[in-house]
Amino acid sequence: MNLKLIRTLSVFMLTISVLHGQESLHQISFMDRTEFKVGYDGNLIWNNGISVGGEYLWKEKFNVKERRKGTKTITKQVLFNVNGVLSTNFSSQTDTGFSGWFGLIWRRTNPKGRQFSLGINPLGFYRSYLPETYEVKGDKVRKVFLAGRTFYSPSITIGFGKDRPGKKLSGRYINFNFAIKTPNNAGLTPYLSFSYGYRFKL
Amino acid sequence: MTCRYSYSKRTVVFLFTLILCLTACSDSENLGNLDDTFFLRRANADMPVYVHGNGSEKVFLLLLHGGPGGAGLNYRAGTIKNEIEKKYAVVYYDQRGSGMSQGSYNKNGISVDIMVDDVLALVKVIKHKYGDDSRFFLMGHSWGGTLGTATLLKDQHLFKGWIEVDGAHNPSGLYYEYINLLTKTAHEQIAEGHHIEFWEKVLKDVQNVDQHKINLDDFYILNSTAHQGEVRLANDHVIYQANFDDGNAFLFKYNLITYFSNRFQTGDILSNKGMWKTLDFTSRLHEITIPSLLLWGKHDLVVPLKFGQEAFQKLGSTSKRLVVFENSAHSPMAMEGDDFAREVLQFMDAYK
Repeated sequence: MNLKLIRTLSVFMLTISVLHGQESLHQISFMDRTEFKVGYDGNLIWNNGISVGGEYLWKEKFNVKERRKGTKTITKQVLFNVNGVLSTNFSSQTDTGFSGWFGLIWRRTNPKGRQFSLGINPLGFYRSYLPETYEVKGDKVRKVFLAGRTFYSPSITIGFGKDRPGKKLSGRYINFNFAIKTPNNAGLTPYLSFSYGYRFKL
Repeated sequence: MTCRYSYSKRTVVFLFTLILCLTACSDSENLGNLDDTFFLRRANADMPVYVHGNGSEKVFLLLLHGGPGGAGLNYRAGTIKNEIEKKYAVVYYDQRGSGMSQGSYNKNGISVDIMVDDVLALVKVIKHKYGDDSRFFLMGHSWGGTLGTATLLKDQHLFKGWIEVDGAHNPSGLYYEYINLLTKTAHEQIAEGHHIEFWEKVLKDVQNVDQHKINLDDFYILNSTAHQGEVRLANDHVIYQANFDDGNAFLFKYNLITYFSNRFQTGDILSNKGMWKTLDFTSRLHEITIPSLLLWGKHDLVVPLKFGQEAFQKLGSTSKRLVVFENSAHSPMAMEGDDFAREVLQFMDAYK
């Protein structure tokens, strides 16, 4: 049920992104509007992982203000976000999994390049990977190959960063993420992490 | 360009394989020094199982954690790790809806009966993994005493012996015993001049709870007061301070957000199913006939000694022993660890 919903919404959001992209910033190529990102994701104690993803510029607005010292430009952007995180708990092997998040980021960049962003990823999933699993049905015990579970896992993010125009690593970020995994056991499980990394263009 | 791409692809495949190996290939084939982590899957739940210690004799101590909603590896410390594991294998596991277990079920997916079947399924998995000649002792602490008793009432023949440690085989009896024991202890401690302000507040709180019928909110107040009271008893040297080495390992092995989230959910579900109001196995204890060892802290305020004495009288076993730890409260394994391990090992040596 959840997977079906995620699939439908993913296609919907992808369609929107392509259509709107064509209408507004059509003069800029897809690759120029896309930044990729890679970084650490976890909480340093229980979960540690690697995060990779991309951000596609959907809408952009410049607020230009005249000041005594010169012109001040504040940029506001809305971006489509795709992010994947592979994380584990190295000391227990009981919390390994892959998260995928799809959503929108609103970002404000001040004249000094400092960035503040809010993200919402209504489309998300978490696939756990269990090390060695035995299933018991009646008197029968069988080893399960690549055992794991898939959870619906939307998330929200608050982030800070620095724009580095013209550099190979075009920006850096630190994000604080809150997600849920549901249905897990008889309810839902909250998940907190931070991510730190760099953005770059290909 | 093509070359760089294929190099990256190889690197990604290599890294992915490395991660899988790091997380999956750590099983020890050496029975003398087991260090295994695997999952038990049953009835829509995946429960982590951690097997440590000396399995050369294929004698396994299956440890049921407290809670409900506790965590198996909470107990892998002190003399359980340093003494008992030296001689026998200890099986710690996170029960359904506890610790790092995961799954997908509704509130009907958690009950004492279902959790009993999980324990019995775990025995099957261990036999499958380590051999049909494996032998088992069952140990339950606190809520683990509830689950362990229920397990034995369903199938005790799988086990060589039962070790109940401050166990709640009569959860619905706790409420009124809290009222009696907390009142008695508060008067004693005030007379001794120990933490007078705290114990006077305990007296007031106890007077304010419903004295005639079990009220769940009041139960939680009493249970919390019992835990706080044990801390005051330790501060006043009435009991020993808990000394559980490697306690910090818990911090790294469990995602505490997941742990507490599971604990609240599972505790809440079992409470709402009447665990603290109606569940009582006392009248069926005579059906348990396997050798039994009852280990109790004399000053246990959480599951008072009265229940240990009651179990000793009513168990149907011809071989049974009650050991009272004079300087302990709810967790003698953490307060008088050496004596605790000695008793457990003697019992296992005798009946394996």
